[in-house]
Amino acid sequence: MSEEIVLSIFRGDAAGGQEVEYRVPLTPGMVVLDAVHQVQAHQAQDLAVRWNCKAAHCGSCGAEINGHPKLLCKTRLDDYVGETVHIRPMQTFPIIKDLVADVSWNFEVAKKVPAFQPSVPVPFKMQQFDVDRIQEFHHCIECFLCQDVCHVLRDHNAKDQYFGPRFMVKMAEFEMHPRDGGDRVPMLAHEAGLNMCNVTKCCTEVCPQHIRITDNAIIPLKERVADQYWDPLRALFRKKKAPAATGQSVQG
Amino acid sequence: MEILQHFDVIVVGAGLAGMRAALEIDPDLRVAVVSKVYPVRSHSVAAQGGINAAIDPEDKWQDHAFDTIKGSDYLADQDAAELMCEDAPRVVYEMEHWGTIFSRRPDGRIAQRSFGGQGYPRACYAADKTGRALYQTLFEQSIRRQITVLKEFFVVSIATAHGQVAGVVCIEIRTGTVVGLAAKSVIIATGGAGMMYARTTNPYINSGDGMAMAYRAGVPLKDMEFIQFHPTTLPGMNVLITEGARGEGAYLYNRDHERFMERYAPKLMEVAPRDIVSRAIETEISEGRGFDGDYVLLDLRHLGENIIKHRLSEIYDFALTYKGINPIYEPIPVQPGQHYMMGGIATDKHGATELPGLYAAGECAAVSVHGANRLGANSLLDTLVFGRQAGIQASQFVRKNPGVDFPSADLTRQQDMISRVKAAGRREPYGAIRRELRETMTQYVGTFRDEPRLTKALKTVRALQDRYAEAGIQDQGDVFNYDLLAYIETGFLLDLAEIVTVGALARKESRGAHARIDYPDRDDAQFLRHFLFTPDGRRDEPVVITHYQPKERKY
Repeated sequence: MSEEIVLSIFRGDAAGGQEVEYRVPLTPGMVVLDAVHQVQAHQAQDLAVRWNCKAAHCGSCGAEINGHPKLLCKTRLDDYVGETVHIRPMQTFPIIKDLVADVSWNFEVAKKVPAFQPSVPVPFKMQQFDVDRIQEFHHCIECFLCQDVCHVLRDHNAKDQYFGPRFMVKMAEFEMHPRDGGDRVPMLAHEAGLNMCNVTKCCTEVCPQHIRITDNAIIPLKERVADQYWDPLRALFRKKKAPAATGQSVQG
Repeated sequence: MEILQHFDVIVVGAGLAGMRAALEIDPDLRVAVVSKVYPVRSHSVAAQGGINAAIDPEDKWQDHAFDTIKGSDYLADQDAAELMCEDAPRVVYEMEHWGTIFSRRPDGRIAQRSFGGQGYPRACYAADKTGRALYQTLFEQSIRRQITVLKEFFVVSIATAHGQVAGVVCIEIRTGTVVGLAAKSVIIATGGAGMMYARTTNPYINSGDGMAMAYRAGVPLKDMEFIQFHPTTLPGMNVLITEGARGEGAYLYNRDHERFMERYAPKLMEVAPRDIVSRAIETEISEGRGFDGDYVLLDLRHLGENIIKHRLSEIYDFALTYKGINPIYEPIPVQPGQHYMMGGIATDKHGATELPGLYAAGECAAVSVHGANRLGANSLLDTLVFGRQAGIQASQFVRKNPGVDFPSADLTRQQDMISRVKAAGRREPYGAIRRELRETMTQYVGTFRDEPRLTKALKTVRALQDRYAEAGIQDQGDVFNYDLLAYIETGFLLDLAEIVTVGALARKESRGAHARIDYPDRDDAQFLRHFLFTPDGRRDEPVVITHYQPKERKY
């Protein structure tokens, strides 16, 4: 008889629910998504779970495994031998059904970020050295695990004050583009709420694509905001166009 | 409840082709993109390697066209291939203008690398995230243009009236409501149908919805027997290992540590076209020179840590995560897996189908630029060139045609079908049918084909269709009923699998990705033509030849 793994999966909707246990045979190299499929195929055909590419490309299957935000398709079950694997939907977003959370808020935020604005006509001349750091941001699959773990959004539910780590990465992508002519620093300092982040690096830890969100996106953006708003010399010369940055970081 | 919303143009599918089409619709027209997932989940984002364009002064678009046509084993329509290759440099610079960051040469220009079957290194790339980089750019542009996107709406049929398109019928996944979307024009951009195979690099959503819906609406499907098997996928889950790895110089080895491509394509070796490399690997395995578990080895070690970690970061991550193999120190096991469909909804070179108002672009369409075998880094190009073409044509169509009334009986019929399959769940669930279909196609309609295997496959597929007609689902709910979605997708896949197999049986020759053991040679006299299938049967069309007379295809 092969080894079994015990999954405890949240079943329910916005009105409430509870975890239900399922037993699944363990095979070598199995990931959590494989086990969830087994449950769906043989024990609970009405289990709602988003998934698609099974290869950490599409960002569909974000959930919380034993309390940690992870992709179901990229989490190997051999890391959990002897444990019950608790699987719940992402907690920062409203639940729809079972493991399906309503992540649409993120796409509303995406609409607020101004698009790339070319500063010169194509073809561009750029050095690989200058685009390397942006290509790191291309790794983002928009699974929103960073948004899920961010305590500003999760514990303080400050979705009206902070765009969240995913969109700091997005804005860094444009801000660092050598041929972008836009200026998103005022937005970062105000509407996007960059100051709300107090660099606990939780987002970097959960990123399944290993993007160094805090070090490579958020901190450089904070430096730009500081340069523009807090540098005393600049402040002296700055026209009184925009008010000073507001918003305090919250303690996690 | 059955709601009816009115649009000028509906685009079904929010991948690269669909998004590019939507961006081309005149801004004063009412357009909506409908996707059964969140748009950024579309499979376009998984494309790794690159997008071909003759942008180097030493290169010519005519050479790109020739390579494409030769790669297609002369089944591509040459006027369409020429249109695509001539447009390619404009496409690349348009994307750069909109913000796509391509990798660079030392002099600051866009870098290009070799891809299979190309006589010149002309694949522009964004590290190994080319699809995602391009997609992010189009997604941003769709936001800038405030294009309506209906997310998690599953389109199940194309509505027609008076011989033209009237819109689409869909299910809102969140509520289970059947919704009619009336439109004067519909653009299908739903991608491929890899889910009919067990071994595939395709994701779950690639169930050929658009192809099957078009077929059911009487629109011909073209060249469906041509299925591309990608040579290098990780055994087990068949995750794609980009051709970019071989483009960067990786070697293929068999069990005897031979670089066996020497025997199959002595000039191009590992960067020969995909059909040739896939067959070479299958031959090595079947002749006993593979490894237990049906694979050969892809060796990247000599490329060095820097190239592996930076230009091939994704496969570095995949190999480590899913196989526990570090490609800097160990070769990666690889085997061929279904990857792409050259065939699809028959369109002219501007994306128009035979049904007035209906257009198609991307993998779901057969223009045909890929013929019997698509070259690597030509599919991203295809989506952007022909997505735009379809958008232009749909806009023009809407200007000239007032549209027809939406047949509301289509909504009732869909609602009745849902009630029926929910009730039928107590008989046979569809799940086993889907699994048997995928195994059958992988086993009998794969890289190498012959009459006995194909006949067996056809018999099995038809038996599965009979069982499907009686089958049902277990989930009786409305909200996120994935059981229902998968049931409907299985129906699409069964229709398409039959056409693929019938086409493969009828094409008694070997051409491109279609390799018949019993007919090993190409037969231009009989088969230099497209097969078009409708529910009424097959008809053939000639291949468009402009400048390139068919020759033997050697690399």
